[in-house]
Amino acid sequence: MAIIEVSDLSKTYDGIAVVDGVSFSVEAGETFGIVGPNGAGKTTTVESVEGLRQPDGGSIEVLGLDPVQDRFEITQRVGAQLQESRLQDKIKVGEALELYASFYRDPADWHKLLDRLGLGGKVNSKYASLSGGQKQRLAVALALVGSPEVAILDELTTGLDPAARRSVWETIEQIKASGVTVVLVTHFMEEAERLCDRIMVMDRGRVVATDSPAGLIGRVGSEQRLRFRPSEPVADEDFMALPEVVSVAHDGSQIVITGTGNVVHAVTALLARRRVIAEELRIEQSNLEDAYLALTNQDATSITAEEEN
Amino acid sequence: MAATMQLTKVESKLFVRDPIALFFGLVFPGLLLLALGLFYPGFDEPAADLDGARYIDVYAPIVLVLGLATLGLVTLPPILGTYRQFGILRRLRTTPVHPARLLTAQLVVHLGVAIVAAAITILIAKFVFDVPFPQSPLWFALSFLLAALSIFAIGLLVGALARTTVAAQAIGMGIYFPMLFFAGVWIPRSVMSDGLLTVSDLTPLGSAVQALEDSWFGITPSATNLLVMLVYGVVLGAIAVRAFRWE
Repeated sequence: MAIIEVSDLSKTYDGIAVVDGVSFSVEAGETFGIVGPNGAGKTTTVESVEGLRQPDGGSIEVLGLDPVQDRFEITQRVGAQLQESRLQDKIKVGEALELYASFYRDPADWHKLLDRLGLGGKVNSKYASLSGGQKQRLAVALALVGSPEVAILDELTTGLDPAARRSVWETIEQIKASGVTVVLVTHFMEEAERLCDRIMVMDRGRVVATDSPAGLIGRVGSEQRLRFRPSEPVADEDFMALPEVVSVAHDGSQIVITGTGNVVHAVTALLARRRVIAEELRIEQSNLEDAYLALTNQDATSITAEEEN
Repeated sequence: MAATMQLTKVESKLFVRDPIALFFGLVFPGLLLLALGLFYPGFDEPAADLDGARYIDVYAPIVLVLGLATLGLVTLPPILGTYRQFGILRRLRTTPVHPARLLTAQLVVHLGVAIVAAAITILIAKFVFDVPFPQSPLWFALSFLLAALSIFAIGLLVGALARTTVAAQAIGMGIYFPMLFFAGVWIPRSVMSDGLLTVSDLTPLGSAVQALEDSWFGITPSATNLLVMLVYGVVLGAIAVRAFRWE
């Protein structure tokens, strides 16, 4: 059964369509990722689902309710963590949880919640004294303190260092395991690949693709790349003669071979027959990042140009 | 209701954890009266230009209004600006509790601090300078509540319109100082010219000082003074509530 059903959602600001005909559905217990470049309309989409924004067109149903009309019921059953939202510097962790717990008719035991999120020892710490990762885990705790059926997390790990990011990922895996439906907006493909059952890729207000991580990677081809330095020279033609090999290139003393199917086996078998050793061998496979860049029509140069601006 | 209680509880704790707000909101009015009375020559002796009243009698209600103005115009607006800027109000919108309840909690906390600050001031006036307790307590309480209503409504409006903490601070201060002038902080109302007195009567702080002074010494406050405060409070409060931006 679909927990969230969005069809043909559109939202326009100053004549510009920020979200333009977006449709998707999220099943119970699923972790659903929304990825896309800045300005793709991800946040506008989830904030419409939360009922914070009134869509200009299309329909949204969450738990069979209208997020704007049935505001009170939605807020009871959907927990949210907002991008760029923080707490008062001097509020203590325990006070924040106790306060938010008082808002809901069926609050979770917030002491247990804090223990689960590794914040059990921080009950008396003030918000300003928490690290970035702790603040984000507290934001997750506040999103979960009302025992929601759906948790919507918007760029939870942006600005965190790798260790803090991993601790937040473990937190999200715990939420998944407890059966809560999760909608996760993220910039990080590694995060989406690891946590999400399905991913929706958005670009310029539209849905580009919705699929499982493996399905998305499959769409951009199953090309693999081998990179090594041969101990003895081998002619390019000999590699090209293998049916699995698509191209051969040289990068200094290294050879870079791309191919499909069982190309790794074909190349290493050839080298073994010739008694050539492949030194510094690395095998690169397409990953979600490649799929994402291909689907959103971004290549490395255009991204660099964007960052420089 | 439970949520509003919790919000009020948390916001009072946060207020107490801010030493500057605590000093100026809670202690400063009483301290100022103490300093004026102890160190200003002749402040607690009958003065000819006050028709035999003492400066300390006239300044006691002025200091009360100064306390209200500090809370309403200096402390309150930046808190609201910060709550908007930090996304605290917006975050509340995703919960079953409307962010208006946070505003209610703030007003309750500020009123509570104002009442304690007034009590401290009244006690200092009574026991250090022999100013009697307010002679018409009911009129005095009504005047105080109307004064708080009108001044907090201005602060709420500033907090409603200012986009950031800094803007809220600047606008609040920009209103605070001219208002203190009309309240008689620098020239007591009793020595103001008729023209100036009329303008002062039309400001909520001027009316507040007069109504508090009257009821303190057993005179029924004038309907004009009470009405001015009521109108400011209701009109500006209504505009603030309608204009309030949650994000």
